[in-house]
Amino acid sequence: MPSGLFLGDAAARLRASVVAIVDGGHGAGFAWRGDFFVTSAHVVSSQKAVLVTSDGRAVEATVVGRDVDRDIALLHAPDARVPAVTCGDPYALRPGALVFAVGHPLGVRDAVSVGVFQAVRAVPLGFGMAERRPRRGRSPFIPWVQADVRLAPGNSGGPIADVEGNVIGVAAMIVSGLALAVPAPELEGLLSKS
Amino acid sequence: MTDSRSSISALSDQLADAVAAASASVVAVHARPRLPSTGVHWKDGVVVTTEGTVRQEEDITVSLPDGKRIPATFVGRDRGTDLAVLRIPPGSLRVAELGDPAVLRPGNLVLALGRLDDGGARAAFGAVSATGGKWRAWKGGEIDRWLQSDLTIYPGFGGGPLVDSSGQIHGTNSGALSRPLATTIPVGTVSRVVAQLLERGYVPRAWIGAAMQPVRTDEGGGLLLVSIEKDGPAAKAGLLLGDVVVTSFDQLLEVLGDDSVGTKVSLDVVRAGKQRKIDVVIGERPRGRGRAGR
Repeated sequence: MPSGLFLGDAAARLRASVVAIVDGGHGAGFAWRGDFFVTSAHVVSSQKAVLVTSDGRAVEATVVGRDVDRDIALLHAPDARVPAVTCGDPYALRPGALVFAVGHPLGVRDAVSVGVFQAVRAVPLGFGMAERRPRRGRSPFIPWVQADVRLAPGNSGGPIADVEGNVIGVAAMIVSGLALAVPAPELEGLLSKS
Repeated sequence: MTDSRSSISALSDQLADAVAAASASVVAVHARPRLPSTGVHWKDGVVVTTEGTVRQEEDITVSLPDGKRIPATFVGRDRGTDLAVLRIPPGSLRVAELGDPAVLRPGNLVLALGRLDDGGARAAFGAVSATGGKWRAWKGGEIDRWLQSDLTIYPGFGGGPLVDSSGQIHGTNSGALSRPLATTIPVGTVSRVVAQLLERGYVPRAWIGAAMQPVRTDEGGGLLLVSIEKDGPAAKAGLLLGDVVVTSFDQLLEVLGDDSVGTKVSLDVVRAGKQRKIDVVIGERPRGRGRAGR
């Protein structure tokens, strides 16, 4: 049987890689590799941002890439010295597998929310997304990691991870209560372009 | 540390196993425009979903776990318990493995399943919040057990099963029965309604054909008869306008259970200051009458 620690270890590791983006936007981000951080494009509105690390340091970052259609941005923060996440494969998950998100919902720093994976695919009809005229970064017809995890404003740009703490997606939005995230395997291609 | 990580992985695997096992008997029901609802293959050839999601009684199809879409025939609906029953060809998919909802306790991990498209089953995760005894839904149906969870009933999840961590199905989830809470219609109630719908196409509701209003009397309290249906059970028993039945609505509803049609009930009635007993044979509410009558 699971111990009382539940997700404690995986969450502690992932939280160390998550930052808050407090200037030039509001939301979450995480250390992707080296000095580079990933967040949502809608979180960073200007070219500069301030990241606050989980140990409370504020560091400057520059937006070096942005894909508005996929709602992903890449930041460079040479002084951050934050351990990078490991990425997982959402396509390998089965529905019902435990996942968790780390972010700053409604300003609560580094909050963990737990739920289960549902699917990686286009958002189903009837969720109030396909019915509206697709906006940039909000197309229902591209694959999203869909999970039953409670997110709130402030989670955007933060990671959603599998039970081991491997990042499977970047939290982007909530549609009819369902958490949508950009699939982690897409980051490589998106970020090499930018 | 390694232990905690492997045990949490084991729990995650167990939940995914439960979803895989239960979803083999879960279908998508296409009985309304655009968004399907979820259905459970309750017994061979019989699919159960929620009444509110069945908007059309013709040209219904269901999507099977293998993605195949087959036609289904409408059997009946019961608004009182928010359940509808469809028929499909026998042997189309695995029959649900039903559990005993009485074993569920607050805090137990549970899943809600949905099938919305051809992309496989989906799951929502949570815990049993509260359990209890028999209750009556606002739509009028009698439900054997109170079974509430903190699950999110996403669009299209209505009619889907409540599943425990071993993959057994404990009932049908309804978002409409007590919004905004996720309420599950337990196995016993679903099976009873399924049997009635298969037998006669509707669920008979007990009825005495009288409208009443609570009043205070010297004896405490009672229900004053304010209208009586012509030729209804109350009229046949000789009840009159102005009679006061010495009971409360709760007690009366208890007597008028779904299986009480045809039985005789002895009412204490105060007429012109004198108490007497009047026997009423409980009738069946005419169909098409009242919220739960359809």
